[in-house]
Amino acid sequence: MANVPWAEVCEKFQAALTLSRVELQKNPEKEPYKSKYSARALLEEVKALLGPAPEDEDERPEAEDGPGAGDHALGLPAEVVEPEGPVAQRAVRLAVIEFHLGVNHIDTEELSAGEEHLVKCLRLLRRYRLSHDCISLYIQAQNNLGILWSEREEIETAQAYLESSEALYTQYMKEVGCPPLDPTERFLPEEEKLTEQERSKRFEKVYTHNLYYLAQVYQHLEMFEKAAHYCHSTLKRQLEHNAYHPIEWAINAATLSQFYINKLCFMEARHCLSAANVIFGQTGKISATEDTPEAEGEVPELYHQRKGEIARCWIKYCLTLMQNAQLSMQDNIGELDLDKQSELRALRKKELDEEESIRKKAVQFGTGELCDAISAVEEKVSYLRPLDFEEARELFLLGQHYVFEAKEFFQIDGYVTDHIEVVQDHSALFKVLAFFETDMERRCKMHKRRIAMLEPLTVDLNPQYYLLVNRQIQFEIAHAYYDMMDLKVAIADRLRDPDSHIVKKINNLNKSALKYYQLFLDSLRDPNKVFPEHIGEDVLRPAMLAKFRVARLYGKIITADPKKELENLATSLEHYKFIVDYCEKHPEAAQEIEVELELSKEMVSLLPTKMERFRTKMALT
Amino acid sequence: RVAVRVRPLSKRETKEGGRIIVEVDGKVAKIRNLKVDSRPDGFGDSREKVMAFGFDYCYWSVNPEDPQYASQDVVFQDLGMEVLSGVAKGYNICLFAYGQTGSGKTYTMLGPPASVGLTPRICEGLFIREKDCASLPSSCRIKVSFLEIYNERVRDLLKQSGQKKPYTLRVREHPEMGPYVQGLSQHVVTNYKQVIQLLEEGIANRITAATHVHEASSRSHAIFTIHYTQAILENNLPSEMASKINLVDLAGSERADPSYCKDRITEGANINKSLVTLGIVISTLAQNSQVFSSCQSLNSSVSNGGDSGILSSPSGTSSGGAPSRRQSYIPYRDSVLTWLLKDS
Repeated sequence: MANVPWAEVCEKFQAALTLSRVELQKNPEKEPYKSKYSARALLEEVKALLGPAPEDEDERPEAEDGPGAGDHALGLPAEVVEPEGPVAQRAVRLAVIEFHLGVNHIDTEELSAGEEHLVKCLRLLRRYRLSHDCISLYIQAQNNLGILWSEREEIETAQAYLESSEALYTQYMKEVGCPPLDPTERFLPEEEKLTEQERSKRFEKVYTHNLYYLAQVYQHLEMFEKAAHYCHSTLKRQLEHNAYHPIEWAINAATLSQFYINKLCFMEARHCLSAANVIFGQTGKISATEDTPEAEGEVPELYHQRKGEIARCWIKYCLTLMQNAQLSMQDNIGELDLDKQSELRALRKKELDEEESIRKKAVQFGTGELCDAISAVEEKVSYLRPLDFEEARELFLLGQHYVFEAKEFFQIDGYVTDHIEVVQDHSALFKVLAFFETDMERRCKMHKRRIAMLEPLTVDLNPQYYLLVNRQIQFEIAHAYYDMMDLKVAIADRLRDPDSHIVKKINNLNKSALKYYQLFLDSLRDPNKVFPEHIGEDVLRPAMLAKFRVARLYGKIITADPKKELENLATSLEHYKFIVDYCEKHPEAAQEIEVELELSKEMVSLLPTKMERFRTKMALT
Repeated sequence: RVAVRVRPLSKRETKEGGRIIVEVDGKVAKIRNLKVDSRPDGFGDSREKVMAFGFDYCYWSVNPEDPQYASQDVVFQDLGMEVLSGVAKGYNICLFAYGQTGSGKTYTMLGPPASVGLTPRICEGLFIREKDCASLPSSCRIKVSFLEIYNERVRDLLKQSGQKKPYTLRVREHPEMGPYVQGLSQHVVTNYKQVIQLLEEGIANRITAATHVHEASSRSHAIFTIHYTQAILENNLPSEMASKINLVDLAGSERADPSYCKDRITEGANINKSLVTLGIVISTLAQNSQVFSSCQSLNSSVSNGGDSGILSSPSGTSSGGAPSRRQSYIPYRDSVLTWLLKDS
């Protein structure tokens, strides 16, 4: 080693680090990597000053350093070997330089050179990788190699490096445990060495990033459950190490809950949402760390926006849980099946027994106080499918609470699309609650509420900008009227004497349903008001269904006037015919509405006969 | 529609001995891989030597002497005229210029005074049309606005200088007007010269602000919007037809803001280093796991048609089948640019 005072070497190294950290945009426009190149030059100088690398390849066979070498390179070490003595110490110092050179080359988009340096770093450290002195650097080098290989789209290689880091961390914590040296300390004078606490913090941060990178890798490998698990762990660690911004953390947890909802894992979803609530409530108490994004001057706005967004995540939780229950308990005409309900009730006990064991396996946020706060929120919400009206109503009320909260931010003037989605969710909550309601009048009232909240939306919206949403609402209103009509008919059925009042009501509902189905169908016409020859794929099924229902509705208009009745039957037949004809011309449509097509064909053959009988009857009187 | 345009070599490129490896053949642009080309074996590998890409239009603008040369006018005749005809029919049109810094986006969109580009020509076209079709005086109205998006913040480039510091505009949705930028100034223009003046003013504003924050203007997107309102007769009643032309000059593609690595996450398998992007990773996970459910459609059975006169049993939740809705909600992470251009 050349006779240069150690202090000078350290100074050079620190200068190199400082240059490395200069933001790219501070460099001249045509030379964005200028500071990096300067840093590199300094690092090379330090390397030269440290002298040649020690030879230690004689003990091991010429193992390649890539992960393809099997267990050797990435396998776990058998024992902890401390780098003692001048040779080992030099190796470690060189390893630090190689690491920084590697990262430097990667930053300047020279991946091959970067890889070379990082691999050299690993080779120098391999024997000592489980030691207190070297583990952090080793893991960081492997992580950077993982990122490098991901850029080359060799994701399995990246996975191998990152999993190796993960395993190494676990082994270290088990067998050694004390906070390891941070690589930056190598070239710092004694008095500037870090505290145990600081070392621990930095090491844990490295591991958190390790988990985060693995989450991304699993996502690319389409191992989605695993990816979610690692995202979940990353979030958990951010909490544990106080390295988070409440608003950002809360919205991430709420977003993760949506993944779980899509997978029907309601317990996990509930946990994420409850945690989101608790952490969001911490806003203002915790200061931002270096990992958090800036939002100057926009924080109040962002706060309200995120609050509204978390509320919407909750709405989806309540809605999906209720709908899932409906799915498992409905019969083939969409009514509550009592047998299925009993089955599920019996299952419930088993579900409750298993609860503890499932909970233990899941990733839990927080300890102590935080854990209690989250549990307090969880206790108020069920994660099990509701089996009767009472249970459904609880979820409904919670969902409705969050609807109001969401609407505070997502007002129609400013957030049209979002506002409407929230209203649609509200309507859906009513609809699914109606499924559980046994009394028909009360069910009617629920549909009436839905119509009341949806109808005003169609008036104000500019159809040019909000075409899809308009169609959705029209279709939904029409269907609500349709359901209401059927309910009124059933109610009238049970009365001995259906009076003219209820008949009028039924006809009015029929008319309203027709109106909205017609509006929906009209929205499909081109600017010249011509109905399309070929209906687009995205609206094909709804369009066919609309036609089908229109046909049925005409057939259900109650009138004493025989001439009118005949007219209605004729119109009904016309629409059934349209469906049959269209499906003949467009076989792909036939696939979309198999059931309705069958029924339409039946009606097309039955109705003419019926109409003929009617005409004969009319002629006779 | 996608068009590609090839520019001449720059002074620096010529000095460094750069060679043109692009070739245009009708609607196909071919790129020659020089490294493969130089290998001695002539056969077997010819596929990899040249890669071909198809476009709707290919413009060769390397040498003005070349008979194949595509001038500003040629580009305008294809793309610009299409914009104009669409606008006349009431459509909203969006024109993007995409490419690295120095690839010639500004030349194509704006051009030097001696040979103006698409934007000035389109404006000119609008004014000419107005003169032609105007039997009534104010039958067309043209307003322009010019905004810049940098780091997801929107700035009005035509704001009267009263503020020292540029402030951020909010992007909102209005039931009647659709998505809009709140507070964005719109300027009525009645002739071509006014338009050019405003364009130059806006561009100057971009550059000034850029030097102020040490960023190259190549990092931001700029959108020049022309609002074109025509008086028409609809069902024999006087009415208005409004269309919008959005001319977008995208940021240099190589200089995407490092703290916004969205592109890097979605393309290829790149891993993002910073935990700042955790939210995006989770959003993507949630998004991919989404199930589109037809509006409350849970089964596909339906109650039978039934005879009229016989009151049949209630159908409860018969099949929905309305235009689909999502089962979950992903908190909003779309970029401002995407949102603003939603309606065109």
